[in-house]
Amino acid sequence: MFFKLDSFTLTGIDAIKVTVEIHISRGLPDFIIVGLPGKAVNESRQRVRSAIINSGFEFPVKKIIVNLSPADIRKDGSFYDLPIALSILAASDQIGGSIIRRSCFIGELSLDGSINPVRGLISMAEKARAAKKKYFFVPLRIARQASFIPGISIVACKNLLETVEALSGEKQIKKFIYKNKNVPDEGNFSGPDFRDVKGQLKAKRALEIAVSGRHNIMLIGPPGSGKTMLAQRAVSIMPDLNLTECIEVTKIYSLYEKYVNRLIRQRPFRNPHHTVSRMGLIGGGANPRPGEISLAHKGLLFLDEFSQFSKNLIEDLRQPLENKKVVITRNHMSYSFPCNFMLIAAINPCYCGYFGDDTKKCICSLREVKKFWKKMSGPVMDRIDMRVTAARLPESDFIKTGYAESSDKIRNRVKRSIDIQDERFRGKDIDYNSEIGIDMVNQWLKDNKKIRDLIYTISKKYNLTARGTVSILKVSRTIADLEESERIKDSHIIEAVHYRIGCNNNPDGIVSI
Amino acid sequence: MKYRNSKNILYLLTEEKVRPARFIEIYRRNCGDIHKTLEYFFRYKKLKLNGKSEKKDTDGFNGSLYRKAVSIILQNKADLLDIGQDGYPDILRQIYSPPLLLFYKGGKIKKSGFCVAVVGSRKCTAYGREAAEYIGKNLSRLGITVVSGLAVGIDSSAQKAALAERGGTIGVLGCGIDIIYPPENRSLYEQIIENGSIVTEFLPETPPLKSNFPVRNRIISGLCRGVVVVEAGERSGAIITSEMALKQNREVFAVPGSIFNPMSRGCHRLIKSGAKLAESIDDILEEFSQYQEQTLKACKNSDYDNSDVRSKQVRELTGDKLKAYEFIGHRPKSIEEIVKYTGLELKEALRALASLEIKQLIKEDSFNKYSRLF
Repeated sequence: MFFKLDSFTLTGIDAIKVTVEIHISRGLPDFIIVGLPGKAVNESRQRVRSAIINSGFEFPVKKIIVNLSPADIRKDGSFYDLPIALSILAASDQIGGSIIRRSCFIGELSLDGSINPVRGLISMAEKARAAKKKYFFVPLRIARQASFIPGISIVACKNLLETVEALSGEKQIKKFIYKNKNVPDEGNFSGPDFRDVKGQLKAKRALEIAVSGRHNIMLIGPPGSGKTMLAQRAVSIMPDLNLTECIEVTKIYSLYEKYVNRLIRQRPFRNPHHTVSRMGLIGGGANPRPGEISLAHKGLLFLDEFSQFSKNLIEDLRQPLENKKVVITRNHMSYSFPCNFMLIAAINPCYCGYFGDDTKKCICSLREVKKFWKKMSGPVMDRIDMRVTAARLPESDFIKTGYAESSDKIRNRVKRSIDIQDERFRGKDIDYNSEIGIDMVNQWLKDNKKIRDLIYTISKKYNLTARGTVSILKVSRTIADLEESERIKDSHIIEAVHYRIGCNNNPDGIVSI
Repeated sequence: MKYRNSKNILYLLTEEKVRPARFIEIYRRNCGDIHKTLEYFFRYKKLKLNGKSEKKDTDGFNGSLYRKAVSIILQNKADLLDIGQDGYPDILRQIYSPPLLLFYKGGKIKKSGFCVAVVGSRKCTAYGREAAEYIGKNLSRLGITVVSGLAVGIDSSAQKAALAERGGTIGVLGCGIDIIYPPENRSLYEQIIENGSIVTEFLPETPPLKSNFPVRNRIISGLCRGVVVVEAGERSGAIITSEMALKQNREVFAVPGSIFNPMSRGCHRLIKSGAKLAESIDDILEEFSQYQEQTLKACKNSDYDNSDVRSKQVRELTGDKLKAYEFIGHRPKSIEEIVKYTGLELKEALRALASLEIKQLIKEDSFNKYSRLF
């Protein structure tokens, strides 16, 4: 007796279809799973057997062979409990009907037959739609996650018995189809607001520019200057995610944890501690999972105390910053996770933290300060377009009551500049000014002699690298967009220079330009 | 390494551990005759004086320390200058304890005419750096050699500026000639060899010990007629140099700074106790009128001052830039203050500040605080 039905497995952020084939024959009673099963898949034999018996069905005392096809991709996780159980029931003629052939299944079984959640449901739902299936059977507890994908009916069952009931006919299945009732309101941001930040005008302005053009930014300042406070609020001035972005972000989060039962509408803000492992930051593992950089997809990755991160971790950021995705290769296949994030790095100016502070004296020798920055310089610093200093507030400013400009106002300006950028990049595969390539920058220089002369003087004076010059131009484009100016003007470039040569108040310029 | 006497002295210092002070004593007793001095020591140590044949450059000494020192000198393309030799600066010979041997790279030291030292703190402010560059550059433009200690901060700023001009510069090390200290000054070090000299009295392979630097400072002041202290904390190496200079009967100048700046404390204390306040190159030259008639005359009509360019730039300022420039005094002002009191919008203020910074009229002094340079 042969039977087959469809299920899925995960490869990075995407799912692929897996066919669960079963053959029940006479012979010594046995239950084998083939097709590169992992430990969790092999253990599913015990769960399936108990679940079937405890749901009141009969577990055939025959030789059972299960094949997970394609057989050359390693399968891990508890996705296949439900499909295997149903295929056993179907192959032993305990259930029938045509619905089972038009459906696909995913779910982990408890010994008592109830269905438990699994990771990556939303990716699978998308794939199920692409495979032109009518019904997708999912665990009830996370059904909401799958329901955000339109064009497929989500069947949510509590246990194996309900699943069997749903499969018995079109009429019965209606009872179990999941309907998403309460869609949350658009853009209800409830995090910290910029109005709490007093002073720090320069840093706030810089963050506004950085968020508008998605420029990576480094905040440099002594302890207590409010770097963390500023960074935490940066996410509050980012425009809300649109639906496709929401689904993309939710996909990543559903790979990371099982119980994502909502659509993630807020921009992610990830703030990993500096002791984070390589795997935790970049992603990986024997069964690869997304790391912090992917969890910050479409949002902010804030690395506080950037200097405390190990040099290896900082170097590891290079490729993801450039490619906007990370590919993790294992011997059987490659997993790819998107990671289009904006980086905010916060750092003290030296070991003791007070270099350049005017009230507290720095106790580091100049050599120590240089050593401190040596770790930072090089390719990663090159990818950080803006460096801004944040000074400690004088006491008189600190106790002032009253609010500064609110995040809502800033967000409106940011939104407008992003609209302008969308207009500019229509039909191209980039979204923000920070992703502009050298060809476009050269075109600007060609068109405008005035800025060409200015940038020449500046790059000569500050001994800028080619990448430094390009990044100044990109930032000045964003400043022009914030002003809704068609062309880049001198003043825009001069302001952009300011954000590149910051922290330069020392003999040799501790930050490499 | 053609000079027999230098090698003989090197041998005495490395293998026989003769104390330099003892050598100087005998040297003075012999009325500055280096041959007699050497003969005395070699007879005392029952050794054969080297260099019977003038032609042969090899010597008969075999001590391992001596051999090593010679090979390091050759490897580093350095050379030796002993106290009895022509080219050893006369002015240095006159100090209380002149170095017996100078290891050097670059030929400037042998024809160093008139020298002035520019010294100061390693952790200097933007103002101090600017002042050091101004003084170094203009002294050198007049043909005066700038002597300093090659340290980061004031020293290297002054020397960098002096390199490009006529006078050149001499750097005095606190370690062996084969060691580049501080290592970040490697490129400056190499430039100085071309248009100046690197000099040390320490034997090759001497590490840059803390105690070496005060000893080294006596050579800096000894080589010069005057010492200009640009920025110095209350307890600083530059203060030690100026004390040495006084003992050696040299002029001491101090560049004043802000009364709020702790790095100017040392300079101000010097001025209080009688050092000459140096505002311009003229202040320095005035004291040397007896030595350098020629130089003084030359400087009267030279273009050594670049403040004209700056004042022209200031006169040409308009609008936001003028507003911001006028508000920023010599005491640092933060961006928040500038925005509040000038009535400029934040982005206007930022742009004005950036363009003033590019013109080198102001400088970010500490975080987000700006002060005038001119």
